[in-house]
Amino acid sequence: MQFEVIAKCHTTRARVCRMKLAHGVTMLPTFMPVATQAAIKGLTPQQVESLGITLILNNTYHLNLRPGIKVLDEAGGAHKFQGWNRNLLTDSGGFQLVSLSKFTKITEDGALFASPFNGEPTMLTPEESISIQHSIGADIIMQLDDVVSSLTVGPRVGEAMHRSVRWLDRCIEQHEKSGRKDKQNLFAIVQGGLDPALRDLCLDAMIERKDQVTGYAIGGLSGGEEKDVFWKIIKQCADRLPSDRPRYSMGVGFAEDLLVCVALGVDMADCVFPTRTARFGVALTFKGPLNLKLGKHTKSMEPIDKSCPCPTCASGMSRAVLHHIVTIETAGAHALTIHNLVFQARVMGGARDAILEGRFPEYLRSFFFDYFGDTGYPEWCVNALRSVGVDLMQGVDVPLVKGSGVRWEYSDAA
Amino acid sequence: MAQTQPGGAQRVGSRFPKLTFILDQGKQFGPRVGRLCLTRPSDTPSNHLIDIPTPNFLIGTSRGVIPHFSRDHVHSANGISWINVSFESFLEQTPPVPTYQAGSQPLHDFFGFDSSRHIVSLSLRDPLDAREMPPNGNSHVSASCMRGVRKVTPADWRSYVLTMQPDIAFALSDTPFTAAPHSQKRMTKSIERSAAWLADLLRPSTPTALNVFVHMAGGTSTSARRAFSHSLMETLHGLEANAVKPLSCLDEGVAGYAFDLAALHSSLILQNSESLAQAPTPNAAHTPTSLSSSMIEPLSFLSLTPTLDELLRASLDPLPIAKPRLVTDVRSPHEILRLIRDVGVDVFDAGWAVKAADIGVALDFIFPVPSSHDSGPDHRKRDVGHNLYDAKYAYDFVRLSDAFLAGCDRTSSSQTPVCPCVACSPVALTSPIYHSKVDVQSHQAHLDDGMSREQFSPPFTRAYLHHLLHTHEMSAHTLLVAHNVAVLDALLTGVRAILSGHADQHEAATIFAREVTRFEEVYDGDMSVFHTALENWKDVKHARGKGRLAREAQKEKKV
Repeated sequence: MQFEVIAKCHTTRARVCRMKLAHGVTMLPTFMPVATQAAIKGLTPQQVESLGITLILNNTYHLNLRPGIKVLDEAGGAHKFQGWNRNLLTDSGGFQLVSLSKFTKITEDGALFASPFNGEPTMLTPEESISIQHSIGADIIMQLDDVVSSLTVGPRVGEAMHRSVRWLDRCIEQHEKSGRKDKQNLFAIVQGGLDPALRDLCLDAMIERKDQVTGYAIGGLSGGEEKDVFWKIIKQCADRLPSDRPRYSMGVGFAEDLLVCVALGVDMADCVFPTRTARFGVALTFKGPLNLKLGKHTKSMEPIDKSCPCPTCASGMSRAVLHHIVTIETAGAHALTIHNLVFQARVMGGARDAILEGRFPEYLRSFFFDYFGDTGYPEWCVNALRSVGVDLMQGVDVPLVKGSGVRWEYSDAA
Repeated sequence: MAQTQPGGAQRVGSRFPKLTFILDQGKQFGPRVGRLCLTRPSDTPSNHLIDIPTPNFLIGTSRGVIPHFSRDHVHSANGISWINVSFESFLEQTPPVPTYQAGSQPLHDFFGFDSSRHIVSLSLRDPLDAREMPPNGNSHVSASCMRGVRKVTPADWRSYVLTMQPDIAFALSDTPFTAAPHSQKRMTKSIERSAAWLADLLRPSTPTALNVFVHMAGGTSTSARRAFSHSLMETLHGLEANAVKPLSCLDEGVAGYAFDLAALHSSLILQNSESLAQAPTPNAAHTPTSLSSSMIEPLSFLSLTPTLDELLRASLDPLPIAKPRLVTDVRSPHEILRLIRDVGVDVFDAGWAVKAADIGVALDFIFPVPSSHDSGPDHRKRDVGHNLYDAKYAYDFVRLSDAFLAGCDRTSSSQTPVCPCVACSPVALTSPIYHSKVDVQSHQAHLDDGMSREQFSPPFTRAYLHHLLHTHEMSAHTLLVAHNVAVLDALLTGVRAILSGHADQHEAATIFAREVTRFEEVYDGDMSVFHTALENWKDVKHARGKGRLAREAQKEKKV
């Protein structure tokens, strides 16, 4: 990996970077769409690339089950298998073991879980996770970590953090001897739950191993924790992680979360949210999400967003047509998936330009005003951005909203 | 929110494009080649002429969209030049929402079709839907939408058509979708109503006439079908003549003839099984009452129900030959070829190829069949496609069709044609959307590294589609629709090449018939691959949910 910081925000910790991997250059900060089973739902790789997307995710856990490593080996890796010749990142499968399998038991050796094929006990070790990711061949691979829900408290959190560090060493060793270090890049995952002290210990240990890892992820968040805790952990990690390594915030996808993370110094984020919500009929816009299932869109001849360059909006596809097909025709999901991916890319692309041009604080202010101006700013966003020198409340008359403050179109009344 | 009023009234002055059909070659019954030309009024912004060589195909829509296609895929599928929109799903709202679309080409604009490339027709009902429905009335058709059954009167239909401005409109037809058999009285009514409803749509309204296709009524009775066609040719008098002035008979206002096989298929199957069952009975000397056609045309108890092509010919016999003939719900390439050979059908709908994509079949056949292409060594006929659910494709890293090359494999010397679809010939991208000024670096660097310099990326493989199908990924169906439509397009291109490649009509017809026979010898006309694919598709669909991998592993063990 060639990694270069090309611009920094004069106020916040935001930065623009150029990350060159084996399958091309990706400009950061960026949002990474998720192709869990080797396809962005409903789209072709050519379509995804045409949207200006240069880095996507595959899931190790899922690809290991289907199509399986043997198929991927014979295909020559996941890039060739799915026809994607841009950059690819795979997670380690640690998160899915916990979220999808009730019977996972973590031992020092690895994660013991019931095979979904025959129920037999199966062990996923850090070494195995890395070697599966070698078969997949992603440009960025993740260490196997011991994931606990972000709501977990007590000694289990510390244990998981320490184990994640020990597993990182085993992943590093497996990766070093593979001879694939020129093509594939290993990222460490900072754990430690919501406890700043544990996070610091983890950061100490992982920063010590800096020469063996090409980037860092912040894991164990986005699991229903208080937003005010979320941003503080992100800030703590981003502040301490080395500036010459990309920082990846796992599972972050709401526009406001993305921009707060960027302001705190995060370079990459992934989430299934934009593609999943598309299948449920929700279009993301700079004025908040539109739930196209609602009756109020029945007769609207407007596109989702006139200024959006995505193929859906550029073709003039009206909200009325979308209302008629979303959640019924696959074509409705495709149209919204395309739009939502472009929305995420615009939020991040806009951030890149703003940072380059020295107007990122203004970008934040105008984004939040458009997005939340009529409902109120989430208090945690205001707090988070104040911590890096941007005051959203300055000169505007917008109420503060407690809690997550997430905007949603629930009903026609909204 | 931009809401306009339904615009029927304000569009009365607008002009419809002119559809002409030129029959280059061919006779009343037998293979024919021609051209469908649509000329738009010269003041429209788009290209004014769409020229479709026939035989060709049209593709239907579901809720206004081509199944599984996003709009960019509609535009990149070059074979698609005629799209049919069935209007009934929009009856959920009153007035139907598409009628709010402003502009001079509301039907194209609402659905995002390209008026310089796409002929868009409008029918009330989905021609592939032959489910049982409440009866039609003297002045309404029962149509189906998600909120239930809606009654549509000829006046409603006329106003929807005039508002939506389709290039071609299908007149309402009184096709009974109630349980067969239908009495003679019912068939007589069907014919009368269908003719009256056609006359209603033909009433002059605009400076230029609508292009109207008529469903050929008469069900499974040859004499009823003939009677309907005669009624189109009858010179009109009095009030009837006044209403459609200056037309002297209904047929004069008809641009083409449509045959919906969906209803015919089901009643033919029913009747054949019944008449076969009755034939050996000794006391069946009286006419079997179960035959709907029996009262119109008393059949000898020995005669079987007329075949499909007999029915089509009965309708066409009294009519002028130089009008396009459209058939919906064909179900195999074999049926298409036979209808071209025996009847002279000009346009077929692509519904079966889309259906194949729904159930995971990648079509793989070619017409004319190359000499190298024989049935397999075990003398089994070739399948017309691959059931990609089958485990044998898990490691099959090749393009979807044997009969066609992938774009990146094409050579100037090869005789094998290239499949142009987005699955076999994915076009490497030249200009993605940039989201910031520095994004150019991503794309410049990519080009400098020699990536995507080739025009075509490698094809998507059977192994990849096998994986997508088993993981419920929608991309599988998108790629398969694109591919199957391209294979259908190639079939009809092959037909036209043979028919127009010989100066002598007789010779062309003879060579064509020989190629059809050869096609039937090489490819399995029972379409057994569709049946197994449908079973596999159901299995995967039903297996969804927790514990699925375990259930499937169990099943595989048993096999």
